[in-house]
Amino acid sequence: MGNVVVWIVWVGAAFACLSSAIAVVTFRNPFYSALALIGNLGSLAVLYLLLSAEFVAAAQVLVYAGAVMVMFLFVIAYVGSEGDAPLAGGPSWQAIGSVTAAGAILVEVIVAIGVTAHGKLSHSPHVHAYFGGPSQIGRLFLTNHLLAFEVTSIVLLAAAVGGVVLGHHSRRVDAGA
Amino acid sequence: MMAAAWICLVAPLTAVLVITLAGMRIGGRAAGWIATTSTAVSFVAAVVAFVKLLPEDGQHRYHLSTAWTWLGAGSLHFGLTILLDPLSVFMMLIVSGVGSLIVLYSIGYMDGENEERRYFAYMALFVFSMLMLVQAGNLLLLLVGWGLVGLSSYLLIGFHQERASAVAAAKKAFIMNAVGDATMALAFFLLILHTHTLGFPALVQVRHSSDLVVNLVALGLLGGAVAKSAQIPLHTWLPDAMEGPTPVSALIHAATMVTAGVYLIARTHHVFEFAPGVQDTSAVLGAVTLVVAGLVALVQTDIKRVIAYSTMSQIGYMFVGVGVGAYANGMFHLMTHAFFKALLFLAAGLVIHALAGEQDMRKMGGLRRLMPLTYWCFLAGALALVGVPPFSGFFSKDSILAAALARGTFGVFLWVAGVIGAFLTGLYTFRMLFLVFHGEPSAYAREHHHSHNGKEGPATMFWPVAVLAVLAVFGGWIQFAGLWTPVSDFLAPSAFPLVAASGWQEVVSSVFAVLFGLAGIGVAWWLYDARRAEVPHAAFVQRTLEHKFWFDELYDALFYRPSAWLATAWTRWIERPIVLGSANELGVEAQESGRLVARAQTGLVRAYALALAFGIAVLLVVFLAAR
Amino acid sequence: MQGPSVAWYLGVAAALFSIGALGVLLRRSPLIVLLSLEIMLNGGNLALIAFARHNGEASGQVFAIAVMAVAASEVVVGLGLIVAMSRRKLALDVDRMNELRG
Repeated sequence: MGNVVVWIVWVGAAFACLSSAIAVVTFRNPFYSALALIGNLGSLAVLYLLLSAEFVAAAQVLVYAGAVMVMFLFVIAYVGSEGDAPLAGGPSWQAIGSVTAAGAILVEVIVAIGVTAHGKLSHSPHVHAYFGGPSQIGRLFLTNHLLAFEVTSIVLLAAAVGGVVLGHHSRRVDAGA
Repeated sequence: MMAAAWICLVAPLTAVLVITLAGMRIGGRAAGWIATTSTAVSFVAAVVAFVKLLPEDGQHRYHLSTAWTWLGAGSLHFGLTILLDPLSVFMMLIVSGVGSLIVLYSIGYMDGENEERRYFAYMALFVFSMLMLVQAGNLLLLLVGWGLVGLSSYLLIGFHQERASAVAAAKKAFIMNAVGDATMALAFFLLILHTHTLGFPALVQVRHSSDLVVNLVALGLLGGAVAKSAQIPLHTWLPDAMEGPTPVSALIHAATMVTAGVYLIARTHHVFEFAPGVQDTSAVLGAVTLVVAGLVALVQTDIKRVIAYSTMSQIGYMFVGVGVGAYANGMFHLMTHAFFKALLFLAAGLVIHALAGEQDMRKMGGLRRLMPLTYWCFLAGALALVGVPPFSGFFSKDSILAAALARGTFGVFLWVAGVIGAFLTGLYTFRMLFLVFHGEPSAYAREHHHSHNGKEGPATMFWPVAVLAVLAVFGGWIQFAGLWTPVSDFLAPSAFPLVAASGWQEVVSSVFAVLFGLAGIGVAWWLYDARRAEVPHAAFVQRTLEHKFWFDELYDALFYRPSAWLATAWTRWIERPIVLGSANELGVEAQESGRLVARAQTGLVRAYALALAFGIAVLLVVFLAAR
Repeated sequence: MQGPSVAWYLGVAAALFSIGALGVLLRRSPLIVLLSLEIMLNGGNLALIAFARHNGEASGQVFAIAVMAVAASEVVVGLGLIVAMSRRKLALDVDRMNELRG
């Protein structure tokens, strides 16, 4: 019984994920694309929950869907929502090439995983209840992966500085605006 | 004794080095004195060597001295060897003696020229080269000297580099000499192949080879001699060589270099003796040249060209001499010819110098009154040239004619040519003398004649002329055929004569030669001095003589035009399209391929990203396959 | 609980990555390119989480959080660029920015 429910949830989340991703790529209006991405992120959070990654799921919703996408929507509002018509004018060589390359990568990755897995992926071992919980993640961040933690914070700092610099008003630009 | 020989050879070389290395730090006159002193030192050393050689008896007068082994290849070894024997010391004395007089003369003649230093360096180089040629102990070193005199001749003919005619004449001389050098080199290859040596005594070994080989070797040597001595058919360079300064014409193209061919034949006479056909050919070439040159000299208007053709003609006599086997007679004539021909050139140089560079005889006249001393010296040289007794030319020329008579029926033809040549010699020589010195002074002479502080020329120019005049008068007295023959006796061990003229042959030759010579002088006086008759003019003859028997035109059509055509055709059909074209094509292709590659740089980020994606796809396959 | 094996999640991750790549390669508006880039990153994250679950190692999840942080930083800078471009009245079209043309 539990198994069927998991399967149903999985199919729904996977379907939502993939279709929202396709929506992001094909919508003309960037606003709609951003909204589709929010949907994508939410369905991904569900998938993470299914994989016993509760903390990551929560972080995904809070950080990604909550903060990053809000920033996206602000900028889209500021910049304006004309986008390009993605499927206009028929397939150019860029289009054909891109579809071919992306399709090739997809096929190759699946084949690679299939070939190297030797069937070991069909059964995952059992994990304890604390797996993926905040305490475990926190402990790992502050012990094994302390360096990554600190470096990531520096990256965030750099991004913040970069954002300020990029947003700086130079008097000449504003005078002509 | 050998030390003296080495000093004789090396002194001019040190002068070359000193003048070259000193560069601009010494003046032109200083360079001239350095060159003169070195040549004088050579002469003194040659005299010392000669004196030391005399007490030795005939067979032992042959000394070799090797500085080091110059070339070694397998079993062949050629040393830097000089030879001291009667023939070489004879030439050494002539070259260094006359050479030092002429270099001294040059100091006055070239005074005020821009490039005096270069001139004296080249003159010293020439003296060194000529001494190396005559002192060489083997044929290889002789070839070195041979080539170096060719080089010096080229450098000195083209001395006035700004004159296109001088440069062309220098090239012509060098190229024609190169033909001779090539035949000589081929002869040397054959000699090495068959006798495995190039030393002189070993030349006798050539008799063990087949007739064909001996004849080819002799022919090759004759080719070189003919080219260097300006005999027919390789003679057209000598008149053009008069573009060089007059002392150069005197030294190189009268007294020494052009006589190198005669020396070569005398030195390698063993080879010629085993190839009698070739030796006879050389005599015939000499006889033909002597007549043809005499004829052409009759219509020349440039004073130096008359003397040049006269040189060609007199060397023809020397070739007749060594061609019949009278080597000592040929060399004796070489010596007296050096004296009187150099005298004539230098005296002509005095005239040219006084007339500010004018060489056309038609503009001269009556200079006897303006330049009396020069006139007397010139007259002495002219009489010696014609062979009037008791001047030096008489003794040497007539002995050659006598030897020709002694040769048999073939020699009679040579004798007739020689006697006709004597007539022509008298005619053209005195035509020149009368045109230049007799009669009234021409308008040009009056206007342009300038004397050198009241004298006819500077002391450095005058004294060599005076010394040569004395030698031209008395120089022949050291041999009187039949009665007193120190020269022939001296040279006999080096080159034993093949013929010996009897007493009555000598008398007949002398009488006919002198008579015909005087007849020539008489006709010249009749036409050019007393002006009793009009100079005969037959249009065709005149034209032929003026075109020097059309030799230049013949060579132009035979050799120059085909080569030039070949060169232009080659450039047009092969050089430009194929050679240059392929090099150009490479460059164009490189540019094209670069342009093609540049088309990939569109600047579009999406295209680059696509390339990245494809690369990832390919790499994934590679990684999968490599497992 | 059972459910699909880890392989299925990996398939979804690969598909997400490819769709994101298509978006990056095909769209001309830089905003949408950034969004597609986010999709690709999320695909990678999903793969990480799946393997973490399979191997019982939570380091994969730690890695995924770090990726999220870096993605956020990159979005900040990217959006800053887009805002700067729009302020200078430049066209928001990646094809127009070809000054590196050879």
